[in-house]
Amino acid sequence: MFTRNKDHDFDMSFHNGGTVRRVISSFLFIYFIIVASGCTSSHEETGPFALTISQEQVASWVRNFNPLIPSGTSRWPTGSGIYEPLFIFNSIEGKYVPWLATGYEWKDGNKVLDITIRENVLWSDGTPFSAHDVAFTFHLKKEHGGLDPRDSWGYLESVEALDDQLVRFVFSRIYVPGLDGIAGQPIIPEHIWKHVEDPVKFANPNPVGTGPFTEIVKFDHQIWELGRNPNYWQEGKPAVDRLKFPAFPTNEQATIALINGEVDWAGNFIPAIDRVFVGRDPENHHYWFPRTGGTIFFYMNTTKAPMDKIDVRKAISLAINREQIVNVAMYNYTIPAHPTALADGLSPWRSPEATEMGDWVTHDLERANSMLDSVGYPLGKDGFRRLPDGSVLSFDISIVSGWSDWIRAAQVISQNLKLVGIKTRVKTNDFGAWFSQMQKGEFDMAIAWTEKGPTPFPLYRGLMSSEYLKPVGEIAETNWHRFSLPEVDSLCTAFEQTSDDREIRNIIYRLEELFVEYAPAIPLFAEPSWGQYNTKRFTNFPNKDNPYALLSPNYPPENLLVLVNVVPK
Amino acid sequence: MSKSINYLLRRLGFYAIAAWAALTLNFFIPRMMPGDPAAIIFARFRGKLKPEAMNALRETFGLTDEPLLGQYFTYLKNLLTGDLGISIAYFPQPVTDIISTALLWTIFLAGISLIISFSIGTLLGTLAAWKRGSKLDSILPPALALFGAFPYFWLAMVALFIFGFGLGWFPLRHAYGEHVTPGLNFPFIIDAIYHAILPASTMILVSLGGWMLSMRNTMITTLGADYITFAHAKGLPSRMIMLKFAARNAILPNFTGFGMAIGFVLSGALLTEIIFSYPGQGYLLLEAVRAQDFPLMQGLFMTITLAVLGANWLVDIAILFLDPRTRR
Repeated sequence: MFTRNKDHDFDMSFHNGGTVRRVISSFLFIYFIIVASGCTSSHEETGPFALTISQEQVASWVRNFNPLIPSGTSRWPTGSGIYEPLFIFNSIEGKYVPWLATGYEWKDGNKVLDITIRENVLWSDGTPFSAHDVAFTFHLKKEHGGLDPRDSWGYLESVEALDDQLVRFVFSRIYVPGLDGIAGQPIIPEHIWKHVEDPVKFANPNPVGTGPFTEIVKFDHQIWELGRNPNYWQEGKPAVDRLKFPAFPTNEQATIALINGEVDWAGNFIPAIDRVFVGRDPENHHYWFPRTGGTIFFYMNTTKAPMDKIDVRKAISLAINREQIVNVAMYNYTIPAHPTALADGLSPWRSPEATEMGDWVTHDLERANSMLDSVGYPLGKDGFRRLPDGSVLSFDISIVSGWSDWIRAAQVISQNLKLVGIKTRVKTNDFGAWFSQMQKGEFDMAIAWTEKGPTPFPLYRGLMSSEYLKPVGEIAETNWHRFSLPEVDSLCTAFEQTSDDREIRNIIYRLEELFVEYAPAIPLFAEPSWGQYNTKRFTNFPNKDNPYALLSPNYPPENLLVLVNVVPK
Repeated sequence: MSKSINYLLRRLGFYAIAAWAALTLNFFIPRMMPGDPAAIIFARFRGKLKPEAMNALRETFGLTDEPLLGQYFTYLKNLLTGDLGISIAYFPQPVTDIISTALLWTIFLAGISLIISFSIGTLLGTLAAWKRGSKLDSILPPALALFGAFPYFWLAMVALFIFGFGLGWFPLRHAYGEHVTPGLNFPFIIDAIYHAILPASTMILVSLGGWMLSMRNTMITTLGADYITFAHAKGLPSRMIMLKFAARNAILPNFTGFGMAIGFVLSGALLTEIIFSYPGQGYLLLEAVRAQDFPLMQGLFMTITLAVLGANWLVDIAILFLDPRTRR
């Protein structure tokens, strides 16, 4: 760096424009060489296009294709693309689609479930698939609790393959909703997994599955590709040659790639999507956010006064302006919640009576104020209500820091509640801390999700039954607000034991009425399912006009329906 | 000389105690955070996992209820044998594998940026002090200080937006493109350099000012010393005075700073790596903390601690050679 020139020259080099220009131009030259070499290599893509998907957000990929460990640890779509379940619940059509199984039958007073297995299905290595693989999968789950996140063995007694095409599930207690957990279980090949020493820590780097895509074409820290199963059981499917997964660590990175047209299918949250994404290429950029997910709730800790009073909870609900929340926090991607808290996906279950009775999910400040007046919390001079002991009605709303949609919703609620004289403060915490407060019941108010399922049963059980109820300070998996009704418990037991459609409907209707009567928690808005697609290279994604399945890849195993139906242009 | 060795050994002993203290804190502090990794994975899914999944998650990750002290001794024993455990966020990869890959990229990106930034900054500082009041001295320090004062993530995002997204000159993410195979081949190396230009430039831009200013200020003090006047009086060439007499003495504080910075390179350029999706240590650390991935967190903190202490020790040795006063 230090040349043996005269000092003068040395100093001059920083004032002399010529040298500077020379330096810049040589930098530019290096730059162009690099760009040029970069360009030549980026045009190497030959053959059919890969369907590029953005579902998981990670910095670098881990080669884990174990379909039995809880999702999120293995790569998407391990359990819904490489491996397949027996049935897929189509939440748009509200029914089970037979997949590796062709049918099921309840027997012996709903204590025995027989499932018929599809014929002529091959594993990707050519070995025939049979009922024995199904039985083996469940036996492995029994042996290793870590592989049973659905808690199947909480209600099963035995699983047995009666012949190559029939599996018998014997229940330890009558539990008809258990079908859901059995239906969605990804099935693994016995001839491979029986040799695996520790299936919990098995990363399964070269998977053998029945799914449409099973061949790992390439696996790198930044990108991996999944190729077609040569032996797939659905004739002529999938039409797509292979799937491609670049690693995007953040939502922003994934959004940029989507806007740039690098991603064909994604399940991301994008603010102002019409302008940001669709506006960039209206012909090819599309999204569809059907409200098939759960409902987002405003929870109040019912162990704390005065939120233990039904009228207080209803008055707070009446004070909340849901239109404003949907507009400010959710970019109008969704709509205010239904009185029964059932989102669009569960709309056939809505009881007309309960819908009519549920008059407390509207926005009515006057009624909210008069209800709070009559319960006996007078307004003070400062505009805030007082408890009988003279203290101000004041609460914290707990939210996860960084979940900006819910933070904005909480801020709106906080402003709304001020108008009826309730003081609230939005408090954000890291999700570990937040979730531990929720589970232990150590919060005042919070925004959180609810349980989902093919029927409204998991929702109401989680909100109102004593099954998950725990004292404050102990960890409760759900029912964080600590509420239960004896009638709900008996309805749940009845629901678990029946497979009669009429009776099921009556039970659900009664649960809805109880929900509307007691307001255990306050529904805010239906949760949209995020899904975007680009039709530049591929078509036949589900959408409003062709709603054959949910577009969002975020709800396995439903995404399998999309994977086998998308076709290259 | 034996005094020097004695000094180095004493420092080494001090570092060993510091390392033990850091590794102990490293074990206990993460465990004081509320929640556990299983609950966090569960919460991340925002209700998409059934409540029953939590127990399965705990069992999968081998989260035990063993008393902390017992866990602590197992942890120390495993550290000594180089067994850092299995990551939770990147289940079931061993922590050592994950860290070793990320480490290479971080050393490459942050290390090269640091060396470039240190060399250019120190050189500019030397020149600015030598030519006090010149254009270089009056324009560059405030301009660089201005860049250094910008919030880094904002600057990096603007750079990414303009040069990556808007003009399309540089790639938007990653350490190398999808069409090259990692290894010692020409297209890969070129591609890796191409991907590093934008993140490295932003890092150099914000840190340049610091090196330059500290060098300039010490150099000005040094230039006032009697031996410099004496050197001038002897009629030595001014470049020799500038580099051999003034700069060599003035560089000592900057050199110490450089040693510290080397250690911190391993903690990764957190924001750079997040904004440019760069697969290095910094992003890994964020992930580990967010997922309460104890094994990965411990592994990362351990490498950072050892790197900082090791770099300091090396600086101790280097200073011993550069500055005769320390040899007494």
